Amino acid sequence: MSPLELVDDRFEKLAAELRAARRLAPDALRQQIRALEARPRRSFELNVPWRRVVPAIALAGLAAALGVAGVLGLVHGAHSDKRATVAPSAQKGTQPTFPQRQIAPASDNAFKSALAPGPAKDRLQQYDALLRIRVRDQEALSKRTQDAYRLTRKLGGYVAWANYSTPANRGDSEVQVQIPIQHVQAAIAAFSAYGTLIGERIRLKDVQQRVDNLAVRIRRLRERIARLHDPRDRARVAQLLRARASTVKHAQMASVALAMVVGKKTAAAPPGRFDRTIDDAGSVLVRELEILVYALIVVGPLLVLGGAGLLASRTFRRRADQRLLERTG
Amino acid sequence: MTTEFAEAAERHLDDVHAFLVYLTGDRSVAEELTAETFARACERWRRFDPRRGTARTWLCQLARSTALDHFRAEDRRRRREGRYAVSLSESQEAVFGEGLSPALEAALSRLSAAEREVLALRVVLDLDGESAGRILGISATACSTRLSRALQKLEREVSAGVAA
Repeated sequence: MSPLELVDDRFEKLAAELRAARRLAPDALRQQIRALEARPRRSFELNVPWRRVVPAIALAGLAAALGVAGVLGLVHGAHSDKRATVAPSAQKGTQPTFPQRQIAPASDNAFKSALAPGPAKDRLQQYDALLRIRVRDQEALSKRTQDAYRLTRKLGGYVAWANYSTPANRGDSEVQVQIPIQHVQAAIAAFSAYGTLIGERIRLKDVQQRVDNLAVRIRRLRERIARLHDPRDRARVAQLLRARASTVKHAQMASVALAMVVGKKTAAAPPGRFDRTIDDAGSVLVRELEILVYALIVVGPLLVLGGAGLLASRTFRRRADQRLLERTG
Repeated sequence: MTTEFAEAAERHLDDVHAFLVYLTGDRSVAEELTAETFARACERWRRFDPRRGTARTWLCQLARSTALDHFRAEDRRRRREGRYAVSLSESQEAVFGEGLSPALEAALSRLSAAEREVLALRVVLDLDGESAGRILGISATACSTRLSRALQKLEREVSAGVAA
């Protein structure tokens, strides 16, 4: 069927005449075209079918994102019961080292406490610990609170603050003690054995550098005083000496907060390796998603603008071509 | 691959030439543009993908693009020289075909290049609406509409020429 039949039969005669009179290319032109030689295709030619490649790249990216999340989840999940996460301030490098550790409840509390990071013997450090212990009943709560007082005194420390209450069948006891830093690990090990350890947090802050800096500043000021005898320098030296003494004093005593609660529920089982893997992989995926959304927010409008501009320029050019052809006779 | 191009050129040379004759309305310009089109095709033959269309469609697209470049250059030249008259061949010899009636030849010359190109593709080369639309950058429906209008105008022009 001729395409013209779709338009109108009455044009068939006209069309037949146009086809019959069709002009052929002259021989000279034919010879000229025959003389052309196309460049052979390169042995390796990147002929990329983009409509297939783009979805494939997107799928590969998704698979890579899932793979990275899975691998990181497996690696981190396998080590998470031993890891010590660093507090955000320490990560940014704006503060001295400040390790922070969260330990899940466990039956072998003494072993867990043995894993607690101890203070360094050759450096001054501020040591803060928080222990959450579940005890069997109110009688045990009372006894363990007394034990904590006795142990603190025995180790050369003192009770800074305490709160004890036993309403109805419940009860809790909070004790804040200061213990010489050389005995803090023994204290933590003993406190942990009072019941079921349901939470532990330890913070270590190195203050050796600060003390050293203070010492340097004091020495320089004293040298300056020897030369200039300025009374303001003496006052500043006294101030720095007080600051150094206070820092050293804080570093000599560890602060341990012991929170005990009455409860018969056994502590929840620590998450297994599978759970940790899923959690870590989920975190990585969320992070990847955040990065993707961020990139889309930043790049998306530019892509939309670029695409719109491209489309507009093509449409404009096409219309301009059409107008040119219409006015060309 | 050189053989493939040579075969395609041999097979479709007349089609491209006829298309350009209709588009330009000038035989000598059409010959120049045909040579230019095949020179470009020769350079770009590696880019031709048979999955996206036939060699004839690809060559006609290239021919149209070459002709548009020529028209733009001519348009700029006319503006520069301050002449706005359409420079059609003034000779009385047949341009569009051998043995066409003078009335039809004259009627074709009074059509615009846009009208003649759709006639060339759909009538002379007998392309289907989809292929012609791809060359013109429009849909098959729009191509049919354009063809219908061009044929009606051609018929009017022929009738007017005969009556005169």
